[in-house]
Amino acid sequence: MGSMIAARDSSSRRKNYTQIILYGILICFLLFIPLFFQSPYVLHLFILTLVYIIAAASMRFIMTSGQIPLAHAAFLGLGAYVSAVLSKHVGLSPWLSLFIAAFVAMGVGIFISFPFARLKAFYYAMVSLFFGVGLLQAIESLGKLTGGLAGITAIPTLFNTASKVPYYYCFLALTLVSLVILYRFEVSRIGWNLKAIDQSYLVSSSVGISEVKYRVLAVAIGCFFVGLAGGMYANYNVTLSPSSFDSSVTLWMIIYVTIGGMNNFSGPIIGTAVLFLIPQYFSGLKQYAPFISAAILFLVIFMFRNGLVCIPGLLMAFYKRKKSTSKSR
Amino acid sequence: MAESTILLIVATIVNALVLSSMYILLALGFTFLFNIMGILNFAHGVIYMIGAYICFYMATVVGINQWLALLISVAVVGLFGIFMERFIFRPFFGNINSIIVVCIGLITVLVNAVAISQPYNVQVTPAFVQGILKVGIVSLSWQRIVFFLIGVSLLILVLLFINKTKQGLQMRAVAQDLEGAILQGINVHFVSALACVIACALAATAGSLMGSYLSLTPYMGNDIMIKVLEILVLGGIGSINGVLFAGLIVGTLDAVLPIWLSGTATQAIMMLIIIVILLFKPQGLFGKEVRA
Repeated sequence: MGSMIAARDSSSRRKNYTQIILYGILICFLLFIPLFFQSPYVLHLFILTLVYIIAAASMRFIMTSGQIPLAHAAFLGLGAYVSAVLSKHVGLSPWLSLFIAAFVAMGVGIFISFPFARLKAFYYAMVSLFFGVGLLQAIESLGKLTGGLAGITAIPTLFNTASKVPYYYCFLALTLVSLVILYRFEVSRIGWNLKAIDQSYLVSSSVGISEVKYRVLAVAIGCFFVGLAGGMYANYNVTLSPSSFDSSVTLWMIIYVTIGGMNNFSGPIIGTAVLFLIPQYFSGLKQYAPFISAAILFLVIFMFRNGLVCIPGLLMAFYKRKKSTSKSR
Repeated sequence: MAESTILLIVATIVNALVLSSMYILLALGFTFLFNIMGILNFAHGVIYMIGAYICFYMATVVGINQWLALLISVAVVGLFGIFMERFIFRPFFGNINSIIVVCIGLITVLVNAVAISQPYNVQVTPAFVQGILKVGIVSLSWQRIVFFLIGVSLLILVLLFINKTKQGLQMRAVAQDLEGAILQGINVHFVSALACVIACALAATAGSLMGSYLSLTPYMGNDIMIKVLEILVLGGIGSINGVLFAGLIVGTLDAVLPIWLSGTATQAIMMLIIIVILLFKPQGLFGKEVRA
């Protein structure tokens, strides 16, 4: 985390402008994606990527407080199932159920994180893993409502069209808004307090940061957004099954965060985009496709310890070194 | 007491003992790796699966004696342990996120390789020991008794190794204080390689035996990994006594609960019990402060 602080201090105004221009280009590119790619399958992939970007970014937000939330995919499932059940069986509008799902996930997150705040490091990770497995099994055993192992089908959708373009724009907007909110939280006092707790909960509580309060807050914010992502997934995908939210999905979400770069806000975004989209390009290999993702994992973790976001920094350092050596000659 | 009740009780006790001893073998290897290298080897379940498949392959396709197949599987997986220590764990000493990524990479590669090469999803290794032991009205298969005895004798061997030999002393020194051990001239890399080999060999043994006791699937490592994590967290990560005690608890619950409950409910109840215990004792039953 120390390098991050240094990077913030040294960032000049000019760099800020280039950043704004780069983000502008990126957003323009994202806005034009439905025009570039006409095929509904490609658009489907982009939509799912957006959902997972919210999930991974919210997971990283919890991880900045030093907690490894291995129940995160189960919360994604909770949001999805709450939204699906409310819109299908209760008959609420999907737009309303989406946000109710987010609040339910947040409520459950707060409810469990008060007792879990006693646990540290691995114990928190493992207990949250067990909670996630248990939550998913509870969802599965409510057969009448959730369809059990077979899953729930014919969930009302957000738009009444077969086209995927409105979903893409809607989800893009929701993702951008969520990311901006998460970013504002991270650079606010709350975000710095969370990082302080991560570094030393003893020191941070000695300077008046309530450990329990901020850890619960981190989980609450993270669970809200993952619940939102779950609701979006449910009302877009029409069908749900418990296997899409099991613990391996959580581990993949951790991988998205780590491969992208844990120390940077854009880490989970880049990681999800790379690891979700590139293996899909090789989906013609069928059962050999997982090897592609494994190869990416090994390549990135052995070559770029701090994730993909550190590549520009490494290139910059390489360029500078080359320049200085040529000057000294 | 009715005859069927006695049979049920005896069968449950034997099941509990066999399951516990296998779980303990796996969890002990995991604890070794955690104590000595400070890593959580999430690929332990996959090592177990690979051990089971090598034994199965040797016993059925190649067609040699099951016990020889077991030894070959242990040797191959033990060598794989040296490879893992050198190229997978040593570069990421103590970095939990990177270890998770590497382990998932390993799991993806190995599980998919096995799933592709094995067209049938569920297989069983032929029985290691045949015959049934009859005591009065109770009849037990010799296989279960032999498995339990193997588990217990391996446990005793490992405990003797840790407590009585020079290498075991070195391991305990490294687990206690890495820098101190290096200053005393202990070859840390050798000790971690040894720990890795022992852990992998124990996992391969458990896998080979369970392949005959239950069945083989490419995904058998996932369920057992959850069990191992339950045992570790319940006993306190890094504590060997904790592993023995928690292994007995988890194995017994695993054998007893399915009598009344369905499979998923058993899992959920186990999770609930462990979460409640941990809320009252956040470091596990025998755990110390975590080094992280």
